[in-house]
Amino acid sequence: MDPILTTNVLNVVYEVSTLAVVVLGLAVVFGLLGVMNLAHGEFVMIGAYCAFFVQAHDLPFLAAVPLALLVCGFLGLVVERVLVRPLYARPFDTLLATWGLGMLLREAVEAVYGRGFRSVATPLTGSVEVLGADYPAYRLLLTLVSVALVAGLVWWFVRSATGRRIRAVVNNPELAASVGIPVTALARNTFVFGCGLAALSGVMLAPLLPVNPTLGLDFILKSFFVLVVGGLGSLVGLISGSGVIGGVESVVSAVSDRTWGYTTVLVIAILFLWLRPNGLFPRT
Amino acid sequence: MPNSTGQVSRRRFIAGALGSGAAVVAPSVLTGARAAEELKIATFYALSGPGSLFGPTQTAVTRLAVDEINAGGGIGGRKVTVVPSDGGAPPAEAAKAAIRLMLRDKVDCVVGSHDSAVREAIVAALKGRIPYVYTPLYEGGECNPNVYVTADTPQQQVQPSITWLAKTLGTKSYYLIGNDYVWPRKTNEQAKKYIGAAGGNVVGEEYVPLGAPNKFEDAVTRIKARNPDLVVITLVGGDNINFNRTFAGFGLDKSIKRISYLLEEQTLLGIGDKSSSGLYSAMSYFENEKGEANAKFKAGYRKAAGAKAPQLGMIGVDTYGGVYCAKALIEKAGGTDAARLMAAADNLKYRTPTGTAVMTNRHVVKDMYLAECKGTSFDIVQTFKAVAHGQTCA
Amino acid sequence: MSGSLLSFAGVTGGYGATTVVRGVGGAVAAGEACCVLGRNGVGKTTLMRLLTGHLPLQSGTVDFAGRSLDGLAPDRRHRLGLVYCPQERPVFDNLSVRDNLGLMEPFDAHRHAPLLAAFPILEARMDQSAGTLSGGERKILSFVRGVAETGQLLLLDEPSEGVQQENVERMAGFLHEAKAAGRALLVVEQNLAFAREIADRVMVMDHGAVVLAGAAADITEDTLAAHMHV
Repeated sequence: MDPILTTNVLNVVYEVSTLAVVVLGLAVVFGLLGVMNLAHGEFVMIGAYCAFFVQAHDLPFLAAVPLALLVCGFLGLVVERVLVRPLYARPFDTLLATWGLGMLLREAVEAVYGRGFRSVATPLTGSVEVLGADYPAYRLLLTLVSVALVAGLVWWFVRSATGRRIRAVVNNPELAASVGIPVTALARNTFVFGCGLAALSGVMLAPLLPVNPTLGLDFILKSFFVLVVGGLGSLVGLISGSGVIGGVESVVSAVSDRTWGYTTVLVIAILFLWLRPNGLFPRT
Repeated sequence: MPNSTGQVSRRRFIAGALGSGAAVVAPSVLTGARAAEELKIATFYALSGPGSLFGPTQTAVTRLAVDEINAGGGIGGRKVTVVPSDGGAPPAEAAKAAIRLMLRDKVDCVVGSHDSAVREAIVAALKGRIPYVYTPLYEGGECNPNVYVTADTPQQQVQPSITWLAKTLGTKSYYLIGNDYVWPRKTNEQAKKYIGAAGGNVVGEEYVPLGAPNKFEDAVTRIKARNPDLVVITLVGGDNINFNRTFAGFGLDKSIKRISYLLEEQTLLGIGDKSSSGLYSAMSYFENEKGEANAKFKAGYRKAAGAKAPQLGMIGVDTYGGVYCAKALIEKAGGTDAARLMAAADNLKYRTPTGTAVMTNRHVVKDMYLAECKGTSFDIVQTFKAVAHGQTCA
Repeated sequence: MSGSLLSFAGVTGGYGATTVVRGVGGAVAAGEACCVLGRNGVGKTTLMRLLTGHLPLQSGTVDFAGRSLDGLAPDRRHRLGLVYCPQERPVFDNLSVRDNLGLMEPFDAHRHAPLLAAFPILEARMDQSAGTLSGGERKILSFVRGVAETGQLLLLDEPSEGVQQENVERMAGFLHEAKAAGRALLVVEQNLAFAREIADRVMVMDHGAVVLAGAAADITEDTLAAHMHV
């Protein structure tokens, strides 16, 4: 295969899989709680700053993973209790509240680290030859980890007892409570889990991003598009949505340029909102 | 950093409170007398929005210039005060602020470091009634009356640097990438002109939207396929960082040189030492510039702004020269009469962090530097003396 | 009523500010079935949801096995032994029949065997999603799920709705077994024959209140009919 073509194909896979991981947490939370967490991007941002923190203190890169999970998990726990739970079944209020939370988190991080850009060194430098093309090793690893993470989560969701219970709550919350599923605790755990996923993606992407307090905003819009296309609250929808949005954008950008990539994605999102507002895999 | 901005807003608050109090109780004669004592400079710096990264430096550097000027007796004997406004606001907001500052606060002049959309709005609002000094780098072409541009122009950034790189490194093929707005396009117009003059050719040119969460895997793959000798980068802020990190991540930094035309200390910090090899920048200021004037300037800055002083860089330091330009103009013209200021601008000499600059056609002939990145700092490899700005304002 | 497993008094509640059920009291003892009868819309389902904790009480008390259920969430009540099979949306449509039965504890063929043998229609559809079942089949699935659980109190809201006669009769058989095993039943019904078959006691509701209550044996068909069709 032509090395440039191989590189382009790998780029598409990279973009789709990393996008899926970022949206994963958002979708899981929306699917179960019906809560669109507009501060999701800020949890990604905090994850990225955890990677920076670890680097600044000369700790190994991987130390950022438990740190980010701890920080964002704890934040998620508090936020669920004081912000999300009192506003269940009030979607618009939740949107406003989580948007406000996002602003607060941006300001908080800015107060500590300032507005400036921080750089996180890539933990794995060099490149790996794939089918005749040199591809950056870290991106390749990231792609593999992302695919494994999404696949593992799908498998867990389909196979595990907890996964079944989550699906039961999504389908019929009242009956779920009646058969003894601790819905409140499950909702809390899911929110914390979603925040943890955001944090994890933040750590993973930190070496490839200009780390600054507004980094999270970049993710929210595209995550929205993924959910618009894929449909809300199903993992199949999430994966297909990431595939369509990430795939189309990077393919069009590769053959043309970024402007056309964005335009195409925007047109697709608008068409979906117009003609198929519930996405490819609507919630039953 | 929060300290210095806090100080300014406190001053502004006190000045505002005094001013409005005076307006209520004092007869107009008295307020007139006050105005005669004090020379008010309105500043438009990016306090919000994407440029706000530079706001603290702009504010701190202006503070330094004003304190120096006041210590030396002010401008034409008048004590200088600063009335800050947000240059990161939408153009319409900035225009309203400019009108309010001119009519209600009776400011004597305006110094601005912000984007061109805001500049055009302010120019339209002021209508040349008070002098307006515009300081950051820009695409050129601002010739409105009573507007004085101390900014680097594309001619100044591009002509010497491209010519030098073509000659010294032997670069023949070029790839241009920038954000999609007027400055990158005007800059690339100049770049193509000098690439052609040096016998090189452009093998690719692309623009990505401004303000979008851009990724650059596709662009870097295209560059890899075209394999140019030099990539000319007119991306700004986060995009500039993201592109350069992706570029180095794909290993292209080993074989392809890059020059970025909006690369200062803060952005380089974001790019990081692992992604900056073979990367150049061309501007009229680098903190590392080794001249005597800059050493003095930096010492004064450290003393005034303290240990946690905001990072010095071209965007920010520009306002220091801006304030001194206003001083020189008003003193040479003997006041703020527009016609006399316009006449005074010709061959005006004023102080900058690196020495003295000369104004012609209400733009500035200045020394330009070409720096090569070494880790996260700049190493000036060539100084170009008194580079023409290429602007022909009458 | 000290011998009762479930006793409630003055139960008042509804949706938001609207009160649907007013001052309803009653009790069910172990090994006993109480049927709640009444026309559509008189508050029977609302009463069930108030007892199971899906709606908050505006006033009144609910006690189970000697302790107050006040403020307990539905899943906590389930853990204490309240097994609820709702009238509407009685199953998880997106899960298979097997997963519906094995959601909380792993599916146990042995535990479910007699039930599944009685309702072969389910056994044939074990790996099909419950959403593909007919209304009556869903009620059967819900019934099987509830009866197979170990909780001491079964709250069934119209279990026979849409179910064929022969299967209704099988349901009655299982409910007799449950009573014999010492479980208590509170059953909302429209099917009077089914209700008479299983009920030890009867409550008739109208306009959110109890209008007639007593031992099933003491209440004649005519009295019942008179109270249900006023």
